[in-house]
Amino acid sequence: MHPITRSVRRRAGAAALVGALAVTALVTSQRTAEAATSEGLQCLTDPHQTFSLTAGDGYVSTPDGNSLYMWGYADSRGHFQLPGPTLCVTEGQPVTVVLHNTLPEDTSIVFPGQKGVRANGNPAQPQLDSGGSLTSLVQPAAANDGSVTYTFTPGSPGTYLYESGTDVDKQVQMGLYGALVVRPAGHPDQVNGRADSRFNPAHEYVFLLSEVDPDLHLAVERRQPYDMSRYRARYYMINGRSMPDTLAPNHASWLPNQPYGALVHIQPYDAVTNPLPAVIRYLNAGSVNYPFHPHGSDERVVNKDGHALQGPTGQDLSYLKYDLDVQPGQSVDALMDWRDVEHWNPTTNPIPTQVPAITDQLLVGSDTWFSESPYLGVKNPLPANITANNECGEYYHVAHSHALQQATNYGATFGGMMTVFRIDPPAGCPAN
Amino acid sequence: MTVQTLAARRDVTIAARALVVAVVLALAAVVTGNLLGDRAEASRMRMPQSAAMEQALGVRFSRIAVVGDGGLITLSYVVLDAEKASRFQSDVAHPPTLRSEARQGSTHRVSLMKQGHTLRPGQTYYLVFENTAGALHPGELATIDDGALHLPHVPVL
Ligand SMILES: [Cu+2]
Repeated sequence: MHPITRSVRRRAGAAALVGALAVTALVTSQRTAEAATSEGLQCLTDPHQTFSLTAGDGYVSTPDGNSLYMWGYADSRGHFQLPGPTLCVTEGQPVTVVLHNTLPEDTSIVFPGQKGVRANGNPAQPQLDSGGSLTSLVQPAAANDGSVTYTFTPGSPGTYLYESGTDVDKQVQMGLYGALVVRPAGHPDQVNGRADSRFNPAHEYVFLLSEVDPDLHLAVERRQPYDMSRYRARYYMINGRSMPDTLAPNHASWLPNQPYGALVHIQPYDAVTNPLPAVIRYLNAGSVNYPFHPHGSDERVVNKDGHALQGPTGQDLSYLKYDLDVQPGQSVDALMDWRDVEHWNPTTNPIPTQVPAITDQLLVGSDTWFSESPYLGVKNPLPANITANNECGEYYHVAHSHALQQATNYGATFGGMMTVFRIDPPAGCPAN
Repeated sequence: MTVQTLAARRDVTIAARALVVAVVLALAAVVTGNLLGDRAEASRMRMPQSAAMEQALGVRFSRIAVVGDGGLITLSYVVLDAEKASRFQSDVAHPPTLRSEARQGSTHRVSLMKQGHTLRPGQTYYLVFENTAGALHPGELATIDDGALHLPHVPVL
């Protein structure tokens, strides 16, 4: 685990932490759910910013019980995973990525948005065969145990894809992609060079969006040809998982090759105790636009494709958005917090209207994520047959692709590109 | 105060901090090891089956997992008989109850997340439950109750 430094750095007092951990370690039967689970960005870091990735194959599981043959980049010290490790680097400091290829065909990595990339010391450039046809966007690692070393110095801070530059339609679809996070020098807690892009490092998330056409994967597994004109995606994923696996913790044991969860877990904004927003770094490794729609609050788009949204004189051009369109190959970095704007309180500031009975709020049968009470941190009794996903009065806001076919598991609603944003009351959630 | 004593003091502080960090890391390793171990152990345990339940409900339960940072539970099931399974999924007044075998604790608060109209045999579907008062913990065993039918010793992931 050593190279994986969790970006989740909770700013608890060291003594309190020691105490809490000691209690947790000793009273093993009383493990808290918070300790039991983990969420948020997991960075692969290295003091010399040198990474060794292996392109290989393996299987991932889908919530409907399917098993998909995939290709992917793995940390060479680990095993196959989807997506590839999230590489976290600092702007201006050289990066080396060594690619080992165990696949039966040539493969490569392109770093869109990075300048001056070199492959084995030479300028990275498209490869042509003797007939002048393009074989790869960049120098590849040869099939069956070839390798190639890419170097570059990361530029503008933000989030980028890294992905295959060889037989792109097929190899990226097969899973050869990952996220690259470039941090501003000296300001790892900012999205970009602007002070107003600061976020809470304990609440940093990558949402790497993608899709799978299982027929293509079956053809590749059987080494049969596949007619791309028949391409049709059936599974839609966040970080290589589909709903409800998106809610599971990082490194869930039942998802051994899909290590990254997609649960956002925050508490309300408070100027004193919780002033900094979370950051969600959206990336699209698929072939179509993903209109990603978090319920419950707008998000502030501060970065696109690794560039701060600002004018020529540095004026802030960030904007609030409730539906984040993430186009193929694009990255969108958004700051997100949840504000109790109206300060509703059941006794001191009750909502001045009758909240509709839950039976009048049903959208699809009895499906709803409405809790017993509209007040954060308050629970009321409800008939047992009514939906309640609410443990201590916390909110669960669904976040999903608004193209509803993308929010299914092979057409079965709901699933796919969907997760929840969990908002705990200001005092926390004592139950877990 | 001289530079030296300041430096010495800083050394002590650094040493103390290093010790705290070391203890934290050691404990974190123990805790993480335990927790990952629990989940891994549970995932290796055999998922029990109940012929009576499968006959009655048309589904085979396949997994219980604590998710949502401890606040939610997913219950996965494979559809065996589409007609019975539709009845099971639509019976919102009588959702199954998940009961801890380790202590007092259960939940029947379910979001049915109805997954389409046609349930395909052999396909896995899921329910999302509230993890009421931390009813289930990863690594323990639970019983699924559905009316008079029971499926005991289900590993909780
Ligand atoms: Cu929606």
